[in-house]
Amino acid sequence: MSVVTKIKDNKPEPVAYSEAALRNNAAVVEYCRTSMAALSGSTAGVLGLTGLYGFAFYVIAVVVLWLMFMMKAGSNWHKYYVSRQSLLTNGFLGALFTYVLFWTFIYGMVHVY
Amino acid sequence: MAELLLDPNIRLWVFLPIVIITFLVGIVRHYVSLILSSQKKIEIIQVQDSQVMIRSRLLRENGKYLPRQSFAMRRHWFNNEETGYFKVQKRAATSQNPMTDPGMMTDMLKGNLTNVLPMIVIGGWINWMFSGFLTTKVPFPLTLRFKPMLQRGVELAYLDASWVSSASWYFLNVFGLRTIYALVLGENNAADQSKIMQEQMSGAAMAMPPDPKAAFKAEWEALEITEHKWALANVENEITAMES
Repeated sequence: MSVVTKIKDNKPEPVAYSEAALRNNAAVVEYCRTSMAALSGSTAGVLGLTGLYGFAFYVIAVVVLWLMFMMKAGSNWHKYYVSRQSLLTNGFLGALFTYVLFWTFIYGMVHVY
Repeated sequence: MAELLLDPNIRLWVFLPIVIITFLVGIVRHYVSLILSSQKKIEIIQVQDSQVMIRSRLLRENGKYLPRQSFAMRRHWFNNEETGYFKVQKRAATSQNPMTDPGMMTDMLKGNLTNVLPMIVIGGWINWMFSGFLTTKVPFPLTLRFKPMLQRGVELAYLDASWVSSASWYFLNVFGLRTIYALVLGENNAADQSKIMQEQMSGAAMAMPPDPKAAFKAEWEALEITEHKWALANVENEITAMES
């Protein structure tokens, strides 16, 4: 995430984004998100969460990951991301699928038998 | 809801192997397709066409930083009625049948070899080897509509819908491991079976090669209506104002 995506001009209006850097940042965020989904899914499975508790745990994990992004980016998050909201909401459902798979897998391994 | 007691051997010999097999097959598919993939042979005329398109697009977007005469000169080179590049170059419309192109044919065969064949073989093998087991239970309640999806191969009318049969567990893995492949193998890997499935379901829409003639026409029109508005008209004043 060390790539600076924003090249500020002297005037405030034109903002140029480096597309390669944007794509790289998105890929890094996606990696983090997948890892988060897998890890939190496994955690939920080991803890034996069922029903709505598991989904609540997923939402908590997403928010925590978002907060970690914000902490990492610090006050100059403008340099790395276009918007903070999309960072929170992008890929929510795709990662949910991974989360459910790992949750089911570990829950089955630990608690069903 | 009656709790079922499953044999722990099912966990060791059915549940876990399906996950591992699905994952490893994806990895193997990725590397086999890397071996089989042939370098796409690129015609020089195609490269020329695409580079011309890129140049024309750049001119349209950034032409405002050029003096008016330079802009007109470049546009003239592209668009002039007699000698303009887009007018002079006559490209045959590419409507060739992919079946007649042997290179395309080999590519399709290789694609089938790495995509469809393993899916049939592995899917069939899983269905045959691990058929009829209940493997796990999803940790959240589901409605009855999910029963045919999750309990393929186990038709028990009174079984709770959150139990998952072995065949369905395999399909859940096929669809769910996609992001894990992206994590392990990087983007644009070839391990993803679900993408192939979706392509097949959507009727295998063949990607038509782009028609340079139509693209040239569109680009010609776009360039023709581009209006030159010099962005640097006031640049001296702005720079001196900034310095002072």
